Amino acid sequence: MKILHVMRSAEINDDVTKLKEIVSADRDNVEFNLDVAAPDYGKLVEMVWEADQTICWW
Amino acid sequence: MSKVLFLMPSREYVLDGIRSALGLAVENMYAYGCVMYNDLNELAVNEKDMKEYHMENVEWLRDMEGDCYTLPEANAANYGLTQTTLEELGQKMREMEYIIPYGIMRADKS
Amino acid sequence: MAKSIGIFVTSPQHMRHVLGVTEAAVAKGAKVKVFFTWFATHLTKCKEFPKLCAMEGVDVSICVDSYKKAGYDIEDIPAGLDSTKMATQAQHGAIIEDYDCYLTL
Repeated sequence: MKILHVMRSAEINDDVTKLKEIVSADRDNVEFNLDVAAPDYGKLVEMVWEADQTICWW
Repeated sequence: MSKVLFLMPSREYVLDGIRSALGLAVENMYAYGCVMYNDLNELAVNEKDMKEYHMENVEWLRDMEGDCYTLPEANAANYGLTQTTLEELGQKMREMEYIIPYGIMRADKS
Repeated sequence: MAKSIGIFVTSPQHMRHVLGVTEAAVAKGAKVKVFFTWFATHLTKCKEFPKLCAMEGVDVSICVDSYKKAGYDIEDIPAGLDSTKMATQAQHGAIIEDYDCYLTL
């Protein structure tokens, strides 16, 4: 199972870090940081298409 | 049937998150929510609305094989939400097809 | 082949991402559905909102109950929408059931 973690904020709290770790364990994980001045939305769309599940963290 | 979990970390979004989860339950999905930080007693809702509308939504969720979890113990004691821990919540999330970090994170990110 | 994408918008903070993802997906030939709920309905007042609604292959709707609770008059239909797009949470269900990929913003 491939999970895409989309990070809407560069700063996440300890609980989110922990939940992300548990969800990610023993799975194929990739990450996309949205908290930048000019996100590559085209790349994000490609990554969403390739993932089995996308989680957009705060 | 899809399994969906709403994570609700901020006071202005908790009760609407439950409503939104119920919206998916009536669309024949297994819908769950989790109150992450807020004591429901601190929300600006009167007791009558809380008991007759919002907690009724929780009962509807349960009737349709979903549930509403809580990390703060007060919500289990005061409103009968299902107590869980962060570790258990993470394990439940692994079973879900859709995970919805709902609304916005608390400003203090506590 | 382009996969369809559904976007469930719950935060009032990310209009640029909603637009950016939708534009990119449409450019790649994808069908997109965007549903705004709760305080994200404030985004209907952004100047970019009608542009989002006008995009080819994009279905935009909002939760009318949320719009009302956010303080708006439900007769004041946001520019770009019509009354049929003042909808319910069933639209969220449609995103999950009918679209290949799912995002929350």
